[in-house]
Amino acid sequence: MIKLINTSKIYDKNVVALDAVNIEFKEGELIVLKGVSGSGKSTILSLIAGLIKPTTGEVLVNEKKISKIADHFVSSFRQENIGFVFQKYNLINTLSVAENILLPLVPLNLTKVELKSRLENVLKLFDIEDKKDTLVKNLSGGEQQRTAIARANINSPKIILADEPTANLDEKLSLEFIDILKELKSQKRTIILATHDPLFFELDFVDKVIQVKNGQIIS
Amino acid sequence: MTLLVALLASTLFISNAMKSEYNTIINSYPDIVITNQKALRDTTINEDEVYKVLSIKGVSSAVARVWGHYYFLNGDEKFLILGRDEFETYSNPLLNASSNIAKDSMLVSKEVKKSLQKSYYTEYFNFIKADGSIKRLTIQKTLERSNFLENSALIIMNNDSAKEIFEYDDHEVTDLSVSVANKIEVAFIAAKLKILFPSARVSVKDDLRVMYENIYNLRSGFFLTIFIITFFTFFIIIYDKVSGLNSEQRREIGILKALGWRVGDVLNTRFYEGAMISLVSYILGIVLAFIYVYYFNAPYLKGIFLNNYDLLKDFRIVFNIDFETLALLFFLSVPIYIAATVIPSWRVATLEADEVMR
Repeated sequence: MIKLINTSKIYDKNVVALDAVNIEFKEGELIVLKGVSGSGKSTILSLIAGLIKPTTGEVLVNEKKISKIADHFVSSFRQENIGFVFQKYNLINTLSVAENILLPLVPLNLTKVELKSRLENVLKLFDIEDKKDTLVKNLSGGEQQRTAIARANINSPKIILADEPTANLDEKLSLEFIDILKELKSQKRTIILATHDPLFFELDFVDKVIQVKNGQIIS
Repeated sequence: MTLLVALLASTLFISNAMKSEYNTIINSYPDIVITNQKALRDTTINEDEVYKVLSIKGVSSAVARVWGHYYFLNGDEKFLILGRDEFETYSNPLLNASSNIAKDSMLVSKEVKKSLQKSYYTEYFNFIKADGSIKRLTIQKTLERSNFLENSALIIMNNDSAKEIFEYDDHEVTDLSVSVANKIEVAFIAAKLKILFPSARVSVKDDLRVMYENIYNLRSGFFLTIFIITFFTFFIIIYDKVSGLNSEQRREIGILKALGWRVGDVLNTRFYEGAMISLVSYILGIVLAFIYVYYFNAPYLKGIFLNNYDLLKDFRIVFNIDFETLALLFFLSVPIYIAATVIPSWRVATLEADEVMR
């Protein structure tokens, strides 16, 4: 389903983030990319989401060469297929929980009824119904994370990418996140998790743990 | 932005009202005025000279006018006295409208009435003549209109009373006003009058217009300064916006792109946001300026334009808003603000989402 073929990414000042990586992710899998900060995990997620383009090589998602298509179409692809949970959640502080969650749907011009129905579903699924009108800056870390996950799920994407989702959470909240992951996995979503949190390495429902080091796949 | 629009709008509203008032004054002037001079100083003229003027072909009417200023010591104020003759037609519409002034009576503007009342003159006023004797005139009526920029401290009386106060002889008048049937001939007739009255100053309406415009331009210079300062402030703010978004705004656009928004979606949103903010600011600014200028009579700003003449503090700015002024204010604010919102967003939105979030 997702393939990185001989993919490299070199940032400005010749910083090699990824060095000729070949990797494949199958549909419905939950894969953990592990490695220290700067190892290249986040770059793999950004490439799959089409947020950046590879310097060399190709990125294929559902047989589509997303590394070769124009920005306009990458946005549409992301809108339809990808749910991204960022390390710092990347919520817009001046908006409420509901407004943040609905952001991916704004360009789709859906009806109010459709928007309401989708919003209620995710609010319920991630247990943040009572916070829907609260400004996100007033939320706790765990609530912010649930909002970010709800936002990543509002368009029911087939692929969920999560970059260090528990980096800012305590152990209790991290365990809550594992429950959410389990739920998403049961919905047959493809989930790719970039983390260096050992909590995820031994989970029985994880399909594969891949070690990334210095921009290369080690195991 | 609302305050800047309000300041700009106030400036333009006051400026337009003044201009319109000056035009009214100029239009009420006769085509030609003949003022006698001695040693290059204005002096009186014999009213019988009117007949000489009327003998010139093309002159439709000539009127001997009696007018002048009176210094009111108690109030430290200067009144403008206009004399009128019951059987004459004047170029000044106010004089024409003020008929039936009784003997030893006068019509006064609201400003004069207020000033006299402060010195307990409620029914009459005692004018002190040059020889120290007193001329008492009863206040017959208060003039309704007070929007005379030139001099709102106005008194209208019969020519005889005015002559007595100014100590003119029977045949002495202040000047002669001349109307010309064909306006194209004004300059030609003025030239003839100069030959006829070699010692007199012959002023045509256009000369007065130039003089008024000079006065207006001098006063509007202050306004122009405010206008330019406001305008530059506005552009500095705009430039600040155009020269780059802050890190939070860049991050927000990055988030939206990462969530699947296209460049067009981001620009659409920013356009509507900019349009909404600038339109609301524009409307609020206009309303604030409207209230400030027409309801509160533009305190502080008005003083820059008018003389520091105490009586003029009661001058009310005449309502004068035209489509051009509103359109000018609109184009100086709304499209510029929208452009300043959209352009930097476009620059950021075309970068990779990953780059703008870093």
